[in-house]
Amino acid sequence: MDPNLDKALVLGFSAIAAGLAMIAGVGPGIGQGFAAGKGAEAVAKNPKSSKNTTMVMLLGAAVAETSGILSLVIALILLYGNPLVTTTGSKLIIMASALGAGFAMIAGLGPGIGQGYAAGKATEAVGKRERHQSAIIRTMFLGQAVAQTTGIYALIIALVLMFANPLIKLL
Amino acid sequence: MEPITGKALVLACSAIGAGLAMIAGIGPGIGQGFAAGKGAEGVGRQPEVQGDIVRTMLLGAAVAETTGIYGLIIALILLFANPLIGLL
Repeated sequence: MDPNLDKALVLGFSAIAAGLAMIAGVGPGIGQGFAAGKGAEAVAKNPKSSKNTTMVMLLGAAVAETSGILSLVIALILLYGNPLVTTTGSKLIIMASALGAGFAMIAGLGPGIGQGYAAGKATEAVGKRERHQSAIIRTMFLGQAVAQTTGIYALIIALVLMFANPLIKLL
Repeated sequence: MEPITGKALVLACSAIGAGLAMIAGIGPGIGQGFAAGKGAEGVGRQPEVQGDIVRTMLLGAAVAETTGIYGLIIALILLFANPLIGLL
């Protein structure tokens, strides 16, 4: 057996976890695409308001992007600043923790889709009633903030698994 | 079978990770498809503002593309500039 095998397993599982984390990118992709569609629809229905509807679409899409960025950050940490490499303790637990952190970040799928849907509906609403724009945007942001919560929970679990793993001490 | 070396293991896992990262491509595909559909619907309804509709659609679709590009970057890093080998 290669004496380096323990470390290699941790690094290998970190590579898999980085890939798993990026699956979250599905969410913003779907959500922002929906918002883009609603933007195109709103411009077609009411071309005069195209500036405002496009602005709302981009604002909402920017929020929908968050979970994709969070996953990207976790993947980059796993690749370039992996804290598990120097963690001492059962290598089995450490490698499984890397994998778990990657799995957790898949949760970003949900907020990405949901926030994008909210962005699309807000775009549609601004196209219909431009004078209520600020109230519509406020409501959209409020709903998007709530939709973000589960993504933040996942981020916390991933960070705990990577930086403050409670399982290693239990062995 | 030859004995598994640590390096081989990291490289093999990196291959799996690169593949998994590309699953993210599902999202932009679905989303941009929806946008394209709505864009076509809009042009059909109001052909005279085709330029505005297509501009908004492309702008939104460009934003929807980002996460797919992130996944691609991670996959390319894993394949061509793998930082994990150096840590071994």
